[in-house]
Amino acid sequence: MEEYLKLNNIRKVYDGKVAVDDLTLSVPRGAIYGIIGPNGAGKTTTIRMIMDIIAPDSGEVMIEGGAPGKDFKNIVGYLPEERGLHKKMTLEEVIVFFGELKGASRSKIMGEIDSWLEKMSLSEYRNRKVEELSKGMQQKLQFVTTVIHKPKLIILDELFSGLDPINIELIKNILLEEKRKGTTILFSTHVMEQAEKLCDYICLINKGQKVLDGKLADIKARFGTDSIQVEMEGDGAFAKDIPGVESVDEFNNYIELKLGDGADTQLILKQLSEKVRISRFEIVEPSLYNIFISVAKIDPDEIPAEGALNE
Amino acid sequence: MNKLMVIIKREYAQVVKKKSFLVGIFLLPIFMIIVTILPAMLANKKVASVQDIAIIDLDGRQLGERFAEKIKRYKLEDSSQTYNITNIYEIDKSDSAGYVEALSRLDSAIQRNKLKSYLVLFDSIVENDSCVMVAKSFSFRTSDRFNWAITRILTEERLKNSDVNVGVDSILNLTHRTVFTQLAPGEKQRDFLTMYLAGIIFVFVIFGTVIGYGQILMRSVIEEKNSRIIEVMVSSVSSFQLMAGKIIGLGLASLTQVAIWMVIGLGIYQFKGNLSIDADISNILFNPVLILFFLVFLVLGYLLYSTLFALIGSLVNSDKEAQGFIFPITLTVMLPTILAMYIVQEPESTIATVLSLIPFMTPTMMVIRLNIIGPDSFSLANPIVLQSIIGAILTFLTFLGVVWFTSKIFRIGILMYGKRPTLPEIIRWMRHK
Repeated sequence: MEEYLKLNNIRKVYDGKVAVDDLTLSVPRGAIYGIIGPNGAGKTTTIRMIMDIIAPDSGEVMIEGGAPGKDFKNIVGYLPEERGLHKKMTLEEVIVFFGELKGASRSKIMGEIDSWLEKMSLSEYRNRKVEELSKGMQQKLQFVTTVIHKPKLIILDELFSGLDPINIELIKNILLEEKRKGTTILFSTHVMEQAEKLCDYICLINKGQKVLDGKLADIKARFGTDSIQVEMEGDGAFAKDIPGVESVDEFNNYIELKLGDGADTQLILKQLSEKVRISRFEIVEPSLYNIFISVAKIDPDEIPAEGALNE
Repeated sequence: MNKLMVIIKREYAQVVKKKSFLVGIFLLPIFMIIVTILPAMLANKKVASVQDIAIIDLDGRQLGERFAEKIKRYKLEDSSQTYNITNIYEIDKSDSAGYVEALSRLDSAIQRNKLKSYLVLFDSIVENDSCVMVAKSFSFRTSDRFNWAITRILTEERLKNSDVNVGVDSILNLTHRTVFTQLAPGEKQRDFLTMYLAGIIFVFVIFGTVIGYGQILMRSVIEEKNSRIIEVMVSSVSSFQLMAGKIIGLGLASLTQVAIWMVIGLGIYQFKGNLSIDADISNILFNPVLILFFLVFLVLGYLLYSTLFALIGSLVNSDKEAQGFIFPITLTVMLPTILAMYIVQEPESTIATVLSLIPFMTPTMMVIRLNIIGPDSFSLANPIVLQSIIGAILTFLTFLGVVWFTSKIFRIGILMYGKRPTLPEIIRWMRHK
């Protein structure tokens, strides 16, 4: 795929502490790209350097193979980690203000505003003040202000923080829709389970350094050992003797089989079904979380548990 | 649309649409009336009720009686006498027991509010002016009247005792107290109090605008900083555009307010005949040259100080943290009102000249000094006019310097959350490319 955004060895040091250490990454056009890592890994600093809010000490940010042009600020939509809007303005005023700030004309914004408010179920609040909205509604409104000017690149810092599961689903669907239109989306998160469901590409970073990056599917294929979860009637201890099975973990109501290289899942299924009644047979991909733990060689306590939504 | 315009528009609308804007339009004039005109009115107010007065006369020449006679001419509005002499104690100078007793009786009468004041005329009063007035409080008017009456009586006595061969009355006529009119060059009548008050009014408008709108600007920066809106802003516009947009937008809002005051003022001017406005006041308040200078200094003062407020906003995280920075600013803008009494009397003194050429004080100091000049003598030959122009240029140059300095710190400060930066850190930001 064609490269859209590239970071070349960018580095940022704060008071002697390296926040981002020679980070290089490449975001293809039209991809959903996740920068993933624990808190303090340097995700926000990286995004701020892309946004030209802070300047890197060394290295460069490139758009379509060159330095960001004057219109870069207008073609990007940015949602910072900590959210906030002008409390005393009405929803419509806020949306128009941020749209105009990105160079969109008022008439163009007014043409878009209805469908966005509709999508976010905010239509009835259009002329209310921002301060009258709930936190969740304000988050949705801020998302609208981020995309109202139809950016070619959407950058979202800690996308999922502060969103409830329903709104996460809503925003995810909107992002997938934007991707289909050809928009490039870059976001950061420390919630790996969410990233796994949304990303085409990922970059895992820890302590300012890249741990690994690439297409999510490739990474899983490269690092993951697949396993099989089986629910059955009867004792499954014999399964460890089946060719291709390396180990068996027994849980309360199922067993998990770790597979060796070149194991044939269909053969395993056949052999199991000869001995016991199977009610569930599922091939489980390795989770990003497990990959991260094993590749970064970090203490799992340093990052939130798998599936954690918010801090 | 130009992005700078987008920010200007928002800042302007946010202020002008608020109810507090409308309140402010009426509040400042009311405030000015309270601090300027009201005290003057109260001071000039006629004494409302009869004052009971007693006299202890140790002299033995019936001077107490004559004093009582002299102050009978002062009347209240209902034409009753202002001063009611309750008692005249004529005590021989050797009767110290009687004197002490009279003193204690009158003192206690004053304590119980039965008596307003009493006078003691000592035995050698004609020779050495020895007399005292005892009261809980003294009004300027009464003191002045009593002083005049006593002086007159003593003059009469001394003339009688001297060998002058002219009638005492005719001498008194020749030596009566003169009240003279104060005039500015060109025979324009000027009044000290009016010049002082008009100067104060101008200073209050500048002060109110600079401090009021400066703080709105500062809060707007703090709000955007705390809510992190600022990150989205500086990813859309440059931090300089953001700062300039805020300063210009709020500046236009403040000019709108001043323009409304001027329209109100012009409205009053149309009816000035009916309102019997003092000619002095209308000469000052409706003098186009002075108004022009006032507007120049209002704009310059606002630009200079609002940039400083933007700087403070970028450095702090809350209003509370900002207070320490605001205090010196308020003091600098306020200083001319404290010094106004002196400046009005000595507008061309070295102190007034030097202070008014310090850019941070120029706007308010110069306006007070310009007030002193008669409306017809506005020319470059007048040192105050010349200094005002120099002061305006100096203030503008200082403003440019402050903008340069602030823009360097602003762009880093607005992205610093949590702790307030230390001075060495700020200096490091300045060197940052």
